Amino acid sequence: MKITILNGDMKKGESHFSDYLNNMTDKLRENHSVDLFHLNKMNLSYCIGCWSCWWKIPGRCAIKDDADEIFKSVINSDFVIFASPLMAGFTSSCLKKITDRLIVLLHPYIELRNGESHHKKRYDKYPDFGLLLEKEKDTDDEDLNIIKDIYDRFAINFHSQIKYMKLIDYDKFEDIIYETNNI
Amino acid sequence: MKLTIFNGSPRGEDSNSTILIEQFLTGYNRINSDNVSINYISKSKLEKERKEIFRNADIILIFFPLYTDCMPGIVKNFFEDIFELKINKSKKIGFIVQSGFPESIHSTFVERYLNKFTQRLKCEYLGTVIKGGVEGIKIMPPVMTKKLFSRFQDLGEYFAKNESFSPEIKKKLLKPYKMNFGRKIMFFIFSKTGMANFYWNSNLKKNNAFAKRFNKPFVE
Repeated sequence: MKITILNGDMKKGESHFSDYLNNMTDKLRENHSVDLFHLNKMNLSYCIGCWSCWWKIPGRCAIKDDADEIFKSVINSDFVIFASPLMAGFTSSCLKKITDRLIVLLHPYIELRNGESHHKKRYDKYPDFGLLLEKEKDTDDEDLNIIKDIYDRFAINFHSQIKYMKLIDYDKFEDIIYETNNI
Repeated sequence: MKLTIFNGSPRGEDSNSTILIEQFLTGYNRINSDNVSINYISKSKLEKERKEIFRNADIILIFFPLYTDCMPGIVKNFFEDIFELKINKSKKIGFIVQSGFPESIHSTFVERYLNKFTQRLKCEYLGTVIKGGVEGIKIMPPVMTKKLFSRFQDLGEYFAKNESFSPEIKKKLLKPYKMNFGRKIMFFIFSKTGMANFYWNSNLKKNNAFAKRFNKPFVE
């Protein structure tokens, strides 16, 4: 299968988290086609809410930077891993920056699903999601529940589902690889 | 008391958050004529100053639109900045989250984060006001925004008097929490008559993009 890993690590220099993702990517490449994006090393801007992607140049973002290769990778993947060390109780602003811009992959039209308004699909198929996190010193179960619930909601809006949420400092590397292989 | 507002809209001054802040302050100024500092998180020149503005503030309100079920990236970046601060003076922080979705359930998940984040900062949490159905308020005729604006004015007036959000107004703004039966029927009729996507279609047509609305440029 095709996998996209979005690395939201914002540490400059050596980083345990990014090393972990590099190892994971090598391991997954034995069986899958994997695109790994280290977001902080790319030229990426924040979404400015202009909605050009919905009503001026449908399906394309007006901002000219490196995001197009991420959009292409994500929508053509079977599985996308949102990976980030937790910062101030949530995934990094660098990961959120590209997450906001993924609305380019949705359609502005609204439909009712489970009695709630959601955006319609632009594409026929959407990837499932995984979450890979690193705890902060004070991360507790409540934080993890909040993060999981917010990403579950994002997945609903994205015609997707969260297949797993893993912690690199808690879950075993082999187990994460095994579960990813068996998505 | 000194009120400091942060506008977290990526659209900056030309945003729905700006309109809601203006309405809030109209009510606030009926009681309190002190200058309120308004700071746009989207302005890059503020990046260095914003930490200091936050450090020196007593009562802080942060307005932002819901982006992919959470705060926009620029607001998360701001939170990371202020999280690094060693805050030695007690502050009160409240949030106003607005979204384009008509029902407020979408914004209730980030509310839990905002509460926890404020605890992390060791500040007092004043709560989160949630309002759906805000997209397009700039172009709506006054008859459609009258109730919304008057509620935000009342919210501001109450805040000036009590340094807190009125539970009653907060509850009213939260409605509809989910689509009730009547709204579902209305949506069904609207979608059959093409009214449901009127806002999108009129903008697509205005930009000569209507024929391309189903484009899938990134499919391999």
